[in-house]
Amino acid sequence: MSVVTQPSGGGRPSGNLLYNVIELILDRGLVIDVFVRVALVGIEVLTIDARVVVASVDTYLRFAEACNRLDLTGDARPVGLPGLVGSVTEGAAEGKVKGAIEGARDAITDTIKDIVGGDRRPR
Amino acid sequence: MSTYVYGFTHAAHPLNVDGARGVGAAGSPVRVLRQEGLAAVVSDAPEGLRAKRRDVEAHTWILERLSEGGTVLPMRFGTVAPNDSAVCAELTLHARHYAGLLTKLAGKVELNVKAVHREDDVLRDLLQQDRALREWNEALRSGGGSREAQIEFGEEVAAALDDRRAADGERVLAELRTHAEHTVIGPPVNGCFVNASFLVPDDERQAFAAAVARAQDAVATVADVDLYGPLPPYSFVTES
Repeated sequence: MSVVTQPSGGGRPSGNLLYNVIELILDRGLVIDVFVRVALVGIEVLTIDARVVVASVDTYLRFAEACNRLDLTGDARPVGLPGLVGSVTEGAAEGKVKGAIEGARDAITDTIKDIVGGDRRPR
Repeated sequence: MSTYVYGFTHAAHPLNVDGARGVGAAGSPVRVLRQEGLAAVVSDAPEGLRAKRRDVEAHTWILERLSEGGTVLPMRFGTVAPNDSAVCAELTLHARHYAGLLTKLAGKVELNVKAVHREDDVLRDLLQQDRALREWNEALRSGGGSREAQIEFGEEVAAALDDRRAADGERVLAELRTHAEHTVIGPPVNGCFVNASFLVPDDERQAFAAAVARAQDAVATVADVDLYGPLPPYSFVTES
């Protein structure tokens, strides 16, 4: 588990927090009918249901390949993973063959990066 | 000149945004409009505003600062009124509604929790717990298996993973729901199986964080659970 909070004392929002709650800022909040909303190109992708992405032949093949290469004889997972840093889940997708979940996430992540300018580290 | 709106609050709020710069390349100065005991935090709206990082940052930064001084009703990003008068008219027309919301949300914050499976870990766990799936995998691995066979197997794995997402999601939410006044479930962005916002009183925040830690423990072998906030109550200002 990691806890990501705002830096107190007036700094701009940390990239990590902004990136991870962007859908709240773009899709929630007060809406007033008589006011307009500026065009938000590319935002729709944020609300894609992951199951839609997962349900494809390509994804099934990737799941199958991911299972085929797993070592089931022992627990190969490095110990002490959870809770170390806020970017655990972002970093997990890097440095290995991309799996189905990561593949789907990357497609969405790239679009979010276009909007918020990348998964920068907290400043 | 149209008016960009960040949020509404009480006129008695300290309104600690002196010198703050708003959305747009130049960062228009942030201003306060007062009406009917309420205050609207606004700036001049730049032409051609898009969801650029800079603008989203400015919007959230101003709301975060305001939240430190008291309850604020955050606008959805990108809300633009025709002019200042239209903002004041809105405050006048719905003054009781906004005052009521501010009272309801006083002393409470939004906390957002996301849980995501680590793919290798959750797949390994699925195979270890499901003998049929495991033997199917072994057969495909040793014998190669046609593309069709791999697709059929992968579809079965995807279905098992869907069930697992639902089950683990319920385990996580079961730990958290009782510590919040309200819960709003969001879309599975970035492949997460839990994306939920909770309205939590300030004095319950520690207890809530402890509940998130228990939720993390419950799924630690296959997933990461992260807590984001405190945030302005983005998810709790619309009708419910």
